[in-house]
Amino acid sequence: MKIVVLIKQVPDTTEVKLDRKTGNLIREGVESIVNPDDRRALELGLRLKDDFSATVTVVSMGPPQAVDVLSEALGMGCDEAVLLTDKAFAGADTWATSTTLGKALEKIGDFDLVLCGYQAIDGDTAQTGPQLAEYLNLPQACYVDNIEKLEAGKITVTRRNDNGYERISLKLPALLTISKISAEPRYPLMGNLIDACREDAKIKIWNAADIGALSQELGMAGSLTQVVKTFSPKGKRAGEILAGEVPEAVSALLEKVREAHLLKLKG
Amino acid sequence: MIRSDAEALIKKTMARFVDDEVIPRAREIDESGEFPYDLFKKLADMGVLGIRYPKEVGGSGGDTVLYCVAMQELARGLMSLAATTAMQCLMATNGLYLYGTKEMHEEYLYPALQGEKIGAFQLTEPEAGSDLGNVRTRARKTSDGYVINGMKTWSTNGPKGDFHTVLCQTDPDKGLKGLMFFFIPTTTPGFSHSKKFDCLGTRSSTLSEIYFNDCHIPEEYCLGEPGRGLDVLLTILAEIRIMTAALALGLHRAAMADSIKYCKERVQFGKPIGKNQLIQAKIANMAVNLEAGQLMVDKVTRQVRDKKPCLNEASMAKYFTVESACKASDEAMRIHGAYGFSMEYSVQRYYRDNRFLLYGGGTHEVLQTTIARQYLK
Repeated sequence: MKIVVLIKQVPDTTEVKLDRKTGNLIREGVESIVNPDDRRALELGLRLKDDFSATVTVVSMGPPQAVDVLSEALGMGCDEAVLLTDKAFAGADTWATSTTLGKALEKIGDFDLVLCGYQAIDGDTAQTGPQLAEYLNLPQACYVDNIEKLEAGKITVTRRNDNGYERISLKLPALLTISKISAEPRYPLMGNLIDACREDAKIKIWNAADIGALSQELGMAGSLTQVVKTFSPKGKRAGEILAGEVPEAVSALLEKVREAHLLKLKG
Repeated sequence: MIRSDAEALIKKTMARFVDDEVIPRAREIDESGEFPYDLFKKLADMGVLGIRYPKEVGGSGGDTVLYCVAMQELARGLMSLAATTAMQCLMATNGLYLYGTKEMHEEYLYPALQGEKIGAFQLTEPEAGSDLGNVRTRARKTSDGYVINGMKTWSTNGPKGDFHTVLCQTDPDKGLKGLMFFFIPTTTPGFSHSKKFDCLGTRSSTLSEIYFNDCHIPEEYCLGEPGRGLDVLLTILAEIRIMTAALALGLHRAAMADSIKYCKERVQFGKPIGKNQLIQAKIANMAVNLEAGQLMVDKVTRQVRDKKPCLNEASMAKYFTVESACKASDEAMRIHGAYGFSMEYSVQRYYRDNRFLLYGGGTHEVLQTTIARQYLK
């Protein structure tokens, strides 16, 4: 069984601030990490590898330094890695990104399962996985949190939705986007990390020509959307402190709840 | 060729482990005094214990540079865990790796790197600390091996160790040239230990006295050539000292991080105390010493890796970084005011734990003498 996991290098958003003038992310001094949901997808892929003798190929699109997330994935136990890097990929929206990833997956070929995090913490779109499935014409399940069963040509998963959980069976090959899983992602092994940094590491570097992509399909040129402006939303809801004794404050609070039609109150 | 930097990746991985697994438990571990074997095993499973050994013997294929990067991060979290791990990676296993037989590797080295057996390193005696010529633990040659008699003290992992690398005197008339290292499993008849010492810092480390009473060991448990014990020690002494310096850097980093956080949060006279110049001076001194110490450690770890003579530089780095960490932990307590005196805050633990580094790897009084000697020849 051949599994492909897609991962993205993102800034650690617990530390990110926006430049007030330009609206851009201040990336200086901010550590780059494996997107947390992608790390969960990696863990799920590696568990399948442990249980079913699968091979796991990890793919990332990004600047040359994105090789670090691939090295980390090799450290966790992936078998090989592919870095898609080319100036032509820069400025891609989710459409151009899924096109680029799709062409890389066509080149990899013969995969049974594609796993990715359900969204990246820098963009929060949750679009790339589903768009990639459409591009590759694969059955897909999003927000998957567990693989219940894997059998010949079929996978059964559970996924969360607004009402609870759904159990879905998909024919393989298929694409899953992963949200919460019960297991904590494993730490990379020192020996694997050291090997991943060597010249003979199993990391392939592919550019646009390597995946047979046309420049108009890629990057900003191939994007259907453009980001006009990025800004921090201003908080409009100011808090209110209800002063006085507790019984009066509670009465005042209930009155406000009633006025806002938040609850149906008797009496 | 696009490739990652192994140092940066290992630092990042260890930092995540320390932030997620060690720091949240550091206070509880320190207070209980119980060594966290579960964390030690996790480090083994990650390949940390074998980081400086080749893969052929169950290691991770790294080197001294990567070893010290990992130990520095671990010391940022908890010194007793870092010190025991550092011991297992180097002093406790290096003689076994270099001079042990294939059978000894299979029975002891491989399990040690997997965290399944614990090793210890025995140099110090009541009358022989820096003065190794005065080692009195005696190894007598027999027809089929050696018989060991004597005692050791300040033995890290002593009561918990499964095997020991022990410096013994084979011929008192030869002084330093009579010294030899021996491999002694804890199961050897005649081996015993005292109860665990009650210490100021690194409270979850297990230190004790070790006793050898007619411990009979086979010939192959002699580690190195007869009479070359001091040379065996000298092959790793620079590495021991630079590892100790890396531990000091980790503790220094923790003290500084806590200080920065506190002096941004603590408001007095209507402003965070970090706005006061005297507090800023303390932070600046911590930062300068940390940067200088890091440069020294980066230089010497590469010299050790490249097998260049660097014992004097390693001594300087150990002396500077440990003294700097002492100063940083003291200043961190002052920045925290009365809270620094409270067991609730970690800075008191840094202050206590760092005292361990003053003695491990050579006292600073002796180091200053040996450093000066290089210039007064």
